[in-house]
Amino acid sequence: MGSMDIEQIFSAAIEREIEANQFYAGVAKSAANDSVRQIFTELARDELGHKELLERFKHDPTLDMRIAAPSQDFKIAEATESPRLSIEMKPADAIALAMKKEQQAVEFYRGLARSAKDSVTREMLESLANMELGHKHRLETVFVDIGYPEAF
Amino acid sequence: MAGLAASFGSGAMTNSIAELQDAKVLFVIGSNTTEAHPVISYFMKRAVRKGAVLIVNDPRRIDLTRWATMHVQHNVGSDVAYINGLINEIFRNGWAREEFLATCTENPDEIRNAVKAYPVEKASKICGVPVDTMKKVARILGESESASVCYTLGITEHICGTDNVKALANLQMVLGNIGKYAAGLNPLRGQNNVQGACDMGALPNVFHTYQPVDNPAASAKMAKAWGVEKLPTKPGYKMPTMLRKARDGGTKILYCVGDNTVQTEPNMAHTIEELKALELLVVCDIFPNMTTEYAHVVFPDTSWGEEDGTFTNTERRVQRVRRALTPPGQARSHWWVMQELGTRLGRDLGFTSGRSIWEDMRATSTSLAGITWERIERQGLQWPCPTVEHPGTPTLHLSGKFTRGKGLFHALSWIPPAEAPDAEYPLVLSTGRRLWHYHSGTQTRNSVGLEAIFPEELMEISPSDAAAMGIRSGDMVKATSRRGAITVKAWVTDRSPAGVCWCAFHFYEACANVLTNSAFDSVTETAEYKACAIRIEKVSDGVPVAPSVSRQARP
Repeated sequence: MGSMDIEQIFSAAIEREIEANQFYAGVAKSAANDSVRQIFTELARDELGHKELLERFKHDPTLDMRIAAPSQDFKIAEATESPRLSIEMKPADAIALAMKKEQQAVEFYRGLARSAKDSVTREMLESLANMELGHKHRLETVFVDIGYPEAF
Repeated sequence: MAGLAASFGSGAMTNSIAELQDAKVLFVIGSNTTEAHPVISYFMKRAVRKGAVLIVNDPRRIDLTRWATMHVQHNVGSDVAYINGLINEIFRNGWAREEFLATCTENPDEIRNAVKAYPVEKASKICGVPVDTMKKVARILGESESASVCYTLGITEHICGTDNVKALANLQMVLGNIGKYAAGLNPLRGQNNVQGACDMGALPNVFHTYQPVDNPAASAKMAKAWGVEKLPTKPGYKMPTMLRKARDGGTKILYCVGDNTVQTEPNMAHTIEELKALELLVVCDIFPNMTTEYAHVVFPDTSWGEEDGTFTNTERRVQRVRRALTPPGQARSHWWVMQELGTRLGRDLGFTSGRSIWEDMRATSTSLAGITWERIERQGLQWPCPTVEHPGTPTLHLSGKFTRGKGLFHALSWIPPAEAPDAEYPLVLSTGRRLWHYHSGTQTRNSVGLEAIFPEELMEISPSDAAAMGIRSGDMVKATSRRGAITVKAWVTDRSPAGVCWCAFHFYEACANVLTNSAFDSVTETAEYKACAIRIEKVSDGVPVAPSVSRQARP
């Protein structure tokens, strides 16, 4: 992977977003809970948006893809165990699963960035990691609202 | 909490205290805020000074009505009918936030249909609020971009307390007022640390941070952390059941911490019989009180100024508390008492300080895991705060997501209080708290200054009822219910509407809970402290006082 050129990086990143979109769309169809179905549908739509963004960068070399890391990283995904995928998932599990996936994406791009041979490629991969970090941050913010139910 | 948790998934204040000052509309119901939550009332008054509309909904002319744009005097125990009527009017006029209903709630058509049974004309007959007033309130709420609802025990201390809370949750969801700054649904929790006690698992069915004891995963996690093979997975009894079972041997030992049970539970005579039936009653408190009289063992506890630990206030904010005084005599921190008891029972609990207990909790916590004592050295943090990187959460549901996913509507029908006035007991008694005293008075009645300001209980009687019975302020009267009787000084005041009397439970000499009914909400088992039937008889004349004479302590 270290020898990938910029176009290959974009292609791989786009492929990840397509896979994520298909994954979320698939589980949205099978989820038993209405809230979970809606969450996965929204996530599938988000991934499609990410794919379109990456395609714009891929096809327009005049665009400079520099994405800064979000100002905060709550590290909630890192502190949360990945839930098991099932049709009986609760809304919090759906968000937890998605934020774990974003955490894995961050780690994927950061790993590639560390082994990149040139600074242009490294910066591109760091930008992609930052983009995924932004997605993780957004999901972690949702998880705080949804992840700590109170039993009475 | 149960009603709110059923609707939202969380039972705590959705917003923060400071946000109240920025509210456009404040809808306060069942909360005598200036007396029971005086600090929070300052934020409400500040909102009014900044132009907010304050709607105070209370059968009594409480002090907060002096700042109110509107005072709505609904009948005691009519909340569900009143709120359903408002929601009906909001739907009828197209003021419901349809986009919020469609995207953030689970069953909006259910509430849309259910409130059709409560047109304002019908609701008005139940709640006693004029139709035009109900329409005006609905319009204010419906046309405002946001509104904050605050409530307290006037909502929850009814046999339908859970439904009352669900009705308010319905209202705020219909208006799309959840997940907004300076809006939301805000139960003003009692005392300084009721929220903290619940967070730490002082409930019969959950470990700390609301992890259910009957959830095998949660139970296994705690067992592993605490080094035991297994933990009980059956929820315990709520307090009324706990006490009731004392009489049939189902409860043998009661360990009572900082709760003057005799004076604070309804139907005092009944409570005393239940305590007498116990094999062992252990009471931990800071001064002797009505309950220590019946205890086999009393452990003297430290007071708040002698303690090192945390309090969690009503806005979910965990705050450090530091010892300012050395505990007198044999008084000990309550964790120390528990540790010593554990040791004598063959179990080292591992408690060495307030901080060690916090860390023990944090290790297996979820929503409090990010709150360390270092982080709250100067400023408290609001949960959820799941990691040390997280800044805490002043406002819940800002993402548009409820803790349970989507907000859940509940179709509700009004039911009357358990005990209605009749020919023998023609007046409604409602009860509560006064500014100058605190709960059963274990602390405040040992404070010379507070005892001097407000030294005795007063029975508040409306001018029309008092006139009909020939009673004047200062006369001694006997108040009698089906449970017992008290003799108390009368205060004739238009704070009480006709047909309604009111007194507090701070004074054991004339305690409201001699009279109150132990009928309770079937979900929470919270008793109906706010409504029972009594009769009043004059016992003796007081010193005649000219009507123009007033006293600061009796506004």
